[in-house]
Amino acid sequence: MPGPIDYSKLRILPDFDTAEWWAGTKARKYLVRQCKACGHKWFPPIFPACAKCASLDVAWFEASGKGKVYSYVVVVQPIVGAFIGAVPYVVAIIELDDCKEADGTVTRVAGVMLDEESEVAIGLPCEVVYEETNDPKIVMPRWKINGTAANAWRFTE
Amino acid sequence: MGALTDKYCIVGVGETPHMRPSNRTTLSMACEAVTKALADAGLKPGDVDGMTSYQAGDSTTSPHVATALGMRLNYAVDILGGGSSGEALVAHAIGLIEAGYCKTMVIFRSMNGRSGRRMGGQTPGGPVPVANAEGDAQFNMGWGWTTPAQRFGMSAMRYLHDTGCTTKAFAEIAVAHRYHATLNPKAIHRSPITIEDHQRSRWIVKPFRLLDCCQETDVSVAIIVTSRERAYDLRHPPVFIMGGYARTLTDSPQWNYSRESLHYVAGNYGWKRAFGMAGITHKDVDFVSCYDAFTFTTLIQLEANGFCGRGEAGEFVKGGRLQIDHELPSNLSGGHLSEGYTHGVQMVIENIRQLRHRADDACPGWAEGKHTYDRKAGCRQLRKADLCCGMGWGWENMASCLILRGMAA
Repeated sequence: MPGPIDYSKLRILPDFDTAEWWAGTKARKYLVRQCKACGHKWFPPIFPACAKCASLDVAWFEASGKGKVYSYVVVVQPIVGAFIGAVPYVVAIIELDDCKEADGTVTRVAGVMLDEESEVAIGLPCEVVYEETNDPKIVMPRWKINGTAANAWRFTE
Repeated sequence: MGALTDKYCIVGVGETPHMRPSNRTTLSMACEAVTKALADAGLKPGDVDGMTSYQAGDSTTSPHVATALGMRLNYAVDILGGGSSGEALVAHAIGLIEAGYCKTMVIFRSMNGRSGRRMGGQTPGGPVPVANAEGDAQFNMGWGWTTPAQRFGMSAMRYLHDTGCTTKAFAEIAVAHRYHATLNPKAIHRSPITIEDHQRSRWIVKPFRLLDCCQETDVSVAIIVTSRERAYDLRHPPVFIMGGYARTLTDSPQWNYSRESLHYVAGNYGWKRAFGMAGITHKDVDFVSCYDAFTFTTLIQLEANGFCGRGEAGEFVKGGRLQIDHELPSNLSGGHLSEGYTHGVQMVIENIRQLRHRADDACPGWAEGKHTYDRKAGCRQLRKADLCCGMGWGWENMASCLILRGMAA
């Protein structure tokens, strides 16, 4: 697995729209925003209104924390100091299994994989894993591959 | 909007050298770029009555430049933005001049993009020691995912997956733009590179290598827009603004990845408007510029703006198609990849010079429009440069375009 993230160099500052989301990860719940009017779900929670019906009457949906890798990058040159010891690490966009809507919309989220580059591929299933940080208020969601897929695609150049 | 086609012109261009570092303020550099653009147009500071700029909290403002140069302005506005903003401010200028708010406008960008504020949050010396992740950054910096390379890499990776394209297509773009830089005395990198050089360069963030990434520099650039009637009296034959689109957005544009395809970028929503305004087809275009923050951004803009079909850009750029003297020359100054990094306006400036037939190359008579077309002798002027399509890029989610023609078209 990649090296550790030095959370002493990364201060997460929740705000009025996101504090409940971070409270969610602390309670080991992966939340996405959900519209009370039309049911649409989205991420990240910085957006306080529904992009499908413009309602501001929004709630939370507790996702299973399971999904599939939609795309990924392998960060080789670190930019954020907290991640210097973690390179090379994989950041992925993940399609959540239980956030598919009738019109084809799928809620996609992003996060840091716990897996090595050689273990990650587009199409593979994965699940959220929670990681304690230096800040007792902040628990960081990471993602881990948890299965195989016939159509998995890996960047091999 | 069709009625505005050809009513407005770009009449002056100017820039500082690309520096690393400049050891200058953004105000000092902006004053140099603006005065050079004025001289290029044959205008005095008092002839300009409007000024706009774009920045990311990293630059001086129009009132500062106006104060320094003794200009009394009727309109001075500075907007937040990066790539695609220069072309958008040309659209603002057209609207403002049409409506009578001012008569002649200068647009500038001034940035210590290497020695000062760097894109993506890193410090000039390297990684950010301790970072505050607030606002949007909670959900990207928190995952160690901040820079344009890291973000665009995500759509590039999915593009490779979806289309079967390989990074050899990225290499084609790096090689083409570098070749053009070898013909540009102002460019930071002037040594030619090969596909193999690209493939051997070190990884920054997979799928991007070093030679996929642009050259951050300290620089200022300026362009001047005025009406056709005024343009005829100025120093150079006018370059006419035929059409464009201005900071057009995708759906779910901001830090939300649930739109149908990550690499269905903003240009897809804009190009019919621009080509319709201009009354042209892609076949009429002699050359292009594409915001090449990365090789991939050029690739995907060509596709998004209809120069090839969806998923076909990798094939489209093969065989040197984007090189001078080939089918569709791109970024003739070397672009961000090899000339330097100005958040887009340098491409507009190069396009203007090409359309005037006055590329500032190694030809002794370039200022009079005398070119040899001998690439080995350093000539980078196109033989036929009548019509160009310039494409600006903010993120995947934001794009601008400027279709221009010279007097010959």
